[in-house]
Parts: sequence; structure tokens; C-alpha cells
Amino acid sequence: MSLLAANNLSLSFGGVHAVEDVSFSVNKGEVFSIIGPNGAGKTTLFNLISRIYDASTGSIRFNEQDISQVPTHRIAELGIARTFQNTELFEQETVLRNLLIGQHVHRRTNLLQEFLFLPSVRQQELRFRKDVEDVIDLLDLQHYRHQVIANLPYGVRKMVEVARALCLKPRLLLLDEPSSGLNPEETEDLSFQIEDINEELGTTIIMVEHDMNLVSRTSTRVMALADGKLIAVGSPVEIQQHPEVLKAYLGE
Amino acid sequence: MRFIKKTHYNQDIQLFKHQGQLFWYGALGVALLLSPLVLSDFYLGELSLVFIYAIAGIGLMLLTGYTGLVSLGHAAFLAIGAYTHAYLLAQGWPFPVSILCATLLSSLVGAIIGIPALRMTGIYLAVATLAFAIIVEQVLSHWVSVTGGFRGMAVELPSIGSFSLDDSVTFYFLCLFILTGCLFLALNLLRTSTGRAMTAIRDSEISAQSMGIHLAYTKTLAFGISAGFTGLAGSLLAHKIGYLAPDSFTLLISIQLLLMVVVGGLGSLHGVIYGALFIGLLPQGLALLRDTLPPALAQIPGLEPGIFGLILVLVLIYEPQGIYGRWLKIRSYFEEFPLYRKATHKRQRSYLRTERLK
Ligand SMILES: Nc1ncnc2c1ncn2[C@@H]1O[C@H](COP(=O)(O)OP(=O)(O)O)[C@@H](O)[C@H]1O
Ligand SMILES: [Mg+2]
Repeated sequence: MSLLAANNLSLSFGGVHAVEDVSFSVNKGEVFSIIGPNGAGKTTLFNLISRIYDASTGSIRFNEQDISQVPTHRIAELGIARTFQNTELFEQETVLRNLLIGQHVHRRTNLLQEFLFLPSVRQQELRFRKDVEDVIDLLDLQHYRHQVIANLPYGVRKMVEVARALCLKPRLLLLDEPSSGLNPEETEDLSFQIEDINEELGTTIIMVEHDMNLVSRTSTRVMALADGKLIAVGSPVEIQQHPEVLKAYLGE
Repeated sequence: MRFIKKTHYNQDIQLFKHQGQLFWYGALGVALLLSPLVLSDFYLGELSLVFIYAIAGIGLMLLTGYTGLVSLGHAAFLAIGAYTHAYLLAQGWPFPVSILCATLLSSLVGAIIGIPALRMTGIYLAVATLAFAIIVEQVLSHWVSVTGGFRGMAVELPSIGSFSLDDSVTFYFLCLFILTGCLFLALNLLRTSTGRAMTAIRDSEISAQSMGIHLAYTKTLAFGISAGFTGLAGSLLAHKIGYLAPDSFTLLISIQLLLMVVVGGLGSLHGVIYGALFIGLLPQGLALLRDTLPPALAQIPGLEPGIFGLILVLVLIYEPQGIYGRWLKIRSYFEEFPLYRKATHKRQRSYLRTERLK
């Protein structure tokens, strides 16, 4: 069954057609990878799904609901979480607080209760913390819990961002180049963690990724984009041998 | 160094993280409670003023230090709190009701000001809030029926029923009590969702949004809360100065408030207290300095604002984390002695975004 369906999405910046008439759908439980040369429009597509940009034409349905007009901050509540290509963490905060911010959509207390730190607020904080610790265990971030983001190495920041997205308990997780800047060992770990997230938590994943090794190991299906246009969708093997895809990567 | 064994998540939520902290804050509390026994009226008055600055500073710190929105107009909220309180007292309203209404009104105005400010950040926001403060100053001078215009208005003596709060010891305790309450509220806010949403906006708006944080709502809220604290400080200040005139709330006061949170240390409530001590005691220091300077120098007009500005610039260049940041460094020096290494607090140049782009 399809969880996310994009129909004829287009967006241009000035004269640049960043995304042009792209349609695809992602099934529940899939790991769906998007590949394509730099500038192909992959990040723009993510920004369209997470409603940071408005599509000029086309529509997006998530979970049987049209989300093309939903305000940006409501996307998280609907169950879509994302990471950013160059990491967008809360730099001056600790890892723990970053992850707690990921729990924001689950809060049930109001301002007055929070000002007075009523027992209901304490209960909620303890519940948040327990959920955060589960994510910390899943992604092996125990050592960094109380460290400020600005002092962390790049690989750890990447994982913290994934962890923060998981704290939303999303149904759909968007990962924008999760392995960029990671060393081979970290990339290896990442592939297992993606499997864990997908299988243990049952989260559907859409991933923009350049590392074909990682893509083949984790993905159910792959979609190739070039110059904003969809070239092909298929299994990892099919896509790697697809003549149009090879042409897009290698040129004429 | 102190290592704390943690056995429950509650320990990370507590206001006092360990026995040592509890002891030192307790000692500070006792000292403050006993100080009327040893301090003269003059120094009690000065301390009360420091407390009032600190309450206003909590407000500005929440906005600037935690939400990342710079305001150069906070004197206006101080003024709204002060005038509203003075006016309501003059109408015969009881002290607690009047001070509450002054706080709420200031908070409401703050939230309304927050709305057009939503699309602005940084210097643009600073200029917009500055413009707002100038408008308020104009209103104060021209709305004669309420504010007394340039002539100003006298503030009634504070009292609850027949119990006078006016003598310096009682007023000192009143300010101390309210400051403690405000610190409690602010600390609570910062350890729960709303406070975290504010810091999230400060550090990255785009990812705050993707985490489900409503930017407009949270920023408006931050403005409202900030203005509320500052308005509350304003109504206490009204009693402290006794007579309100538009020139009690000029741009210079706004700058002083900003100076306070920056010098104290942005993004920390400790910083507010250090900043308030600094601002409260600086005029005394400057007065002493004036006496020692040759008359030609001491008589220069604008010496005080000049020195304020100079200090602000020096702090921003040499100690961006303010007095509190400096204190943390000194403390870790002693804790780690003799293992302290010089570069402990140097930020590592972890990476530049552009280096990792592709
Ligand atoms: N905010 C923007 N303003 C102008 N042009 C943009 C913007 N974002 C992306 N583009 C352009 O759209 C195209 C696709 O970019 P992007 O989606 O980032 O590619 P990818 O993530 O596949 O490398 C590029 O040509 C890029 O220059
Ligand atoms: Mg990209």
C-alpha cells in the first residue's frame, strides 16, 4: 500500500527546473532510495515533501491525505521526519536536548503547567527521556549524551540528526545523503542502523544517497533523477544497469 | 573534579543537580535573607535595584539569549509596566492586582509587537524594536491625561491593605521574593518543551519547523513572556524611583538592559544575575572614577553611555560568553589543576559547511 504518493510535482527557481513533472509512490515499509548527479533535484524533492517549498504544480499525498497545502510545522505531527544534507542541528545545545526537541510533537502540557512544572510535566519529561534513551541505544550515542553539538565530530553529528528525527516516532523518515562525510566504518554501521530502523521500528525510509554500495544493501527500490526529471524506478540491480541512468552519470 | 553518579532521569531534570549546588545556593539565600541586618539602607536600596534589573534581565534573556531575537526596545516594556502600575494604584486598585495587570498588559503588548517582528531577525529586528520604544516614549510624553506628559506622575507608596511595603527592608524582601519567583518560572520554562522550542528557533529555524515547532506562535510567545517579566520589573522600578517621567525610559535604558544580558553571558540565567550586578554597580564605579579623573575629562558629556558602549564592544570581542562564561573557565581551571591545558575552551574548528557540501 502506498504511504506517500507524488503526482506531477514541479518546481523551478527562476529559469532552473529543479524538479520537473516527477511522479512516484513509496510503499509502507519500504526503503526507497533516490539517486542522481549533483543538482538533479533530490534535495529539492525532499524540501517539497517536507513543505519547506511550495510546489508550482502537482500534489503530494501522505497516508491518503493531500498534504500539498499543510503548513510546514504540521508535517512533523503527521509523521514525517527528516535530516538535512549538511546537518541542521541545534548547535549550542547538548545531544540530549536536541533529541528532546525531537519529542516536541508529543507534548501534551500547556504553558501554565510548564511554568509551574506540575507533576504532569515531570511525568512527561521522564517519558520523553525514556524514549530518547531508546533512540540513543539504537544508534549507539551513549557517549555523547551530554556533549554540546558544536564540539562533536561530523560523523557523530550526522547520527545525532538521524536520532533526532527518530524521536518524532515518524512513519516516514527522509534521509538526505546520510553517508556523506562518513568514513567507511561509519558507513558500514549506518547500513545496519538503517536496517534496524526499518525493521525494528517499522519506519518507511526515503533516502537520498550517492554510495551505491549502501543503496544496494538497504534499498527495496531505487529512483534515479537527472536534471529534475525522473529517469527510472526499479530494483537496485535494474537501476545500476539501466542505460539512461548510466548515461546521466557518465554523460554521452 | 566532581563526578556524579546518576541513578534516575529525575537527576537531570532537578533544579539543583547535586548536593554541592544545593549547599551553595542555600548559603547564598541565607546571606541574602540576613543582609538587612548588616547592610545600610543605601546598600539595601542598591541591591533592590539589582534585583529589579535582574527581573527585567530574565525577560530580555529569554528573548535574546534563548530565542535569539535581539530587542533594543525593552525600556518600553519597563515603561508600560511602570506607568500601568502607577496609574492603576492611583485609581485605587490594590497593589497585587495592579502589579499583575501591569505585567499582563506589558506581556500582551509584547506579543502584539512580536507579530510584525516575526519576519525580521538580527539588525532589522533590533531597529524595529528600537522604533517601537521611541513610539512608546512619544505616547508617554503626549498622553497627558494618563501619564502626566512631560510633567510626569508620582507613584503611590506600595502597600498591601494597611501593611506598608515602603521601607527599604520590606521593599528589599519584596524584590527578592519576586525575583526568586521569576527565576523559578524561567528555570521551569527552560527545562520543558516551550523553552526547548525557543532555543531550537535560536539555533536553526528550518529544523525547528521540521521538528513541528510553530515559528510564529513560539516567537510571539517568547515576546509576550519576555515583555511580561520586564513589565513586572517596571512596576517595581516605579516604586524605586518614586516619580515617573518619559525620560526615565530612554534608549539608554534599553541599551543598558541589552548590555546586561550580553555582559552577563547570553544563554544563561546566571548571566542575568552577573549582568544585573554589573549594571547596578557600574554607576557607583563610574562615580568613583569621575572623582579621580581630572575635571576636564570627568566633565565630558556622554561619558557614561560611552563607557557602556565601550564595555559592550570589548566583551563581544574578548569574552563573547560574558562574565558567566569567564567564571566557568576560572572554575574549571581550579577543578582540573594542575591538568588544565590552555586550549581547553578553544572551540575546535570542527568543519566548515562548504567543505562538506559535496
Ligand atoms: N533555494 C534555491 N534557489 C535557487 N536554486 C536552487 C535552490 N535550491 C536548489 N536550487 C537549484 O535546483 C537544482 C537542484 O538542486 P538540489 O535539489 O539541491 O540538487 P541535489 O540535491 O540533487 O544535488 C540545482 O540546479 C540548484 O542550483
Ligand atoms: Mg542535495
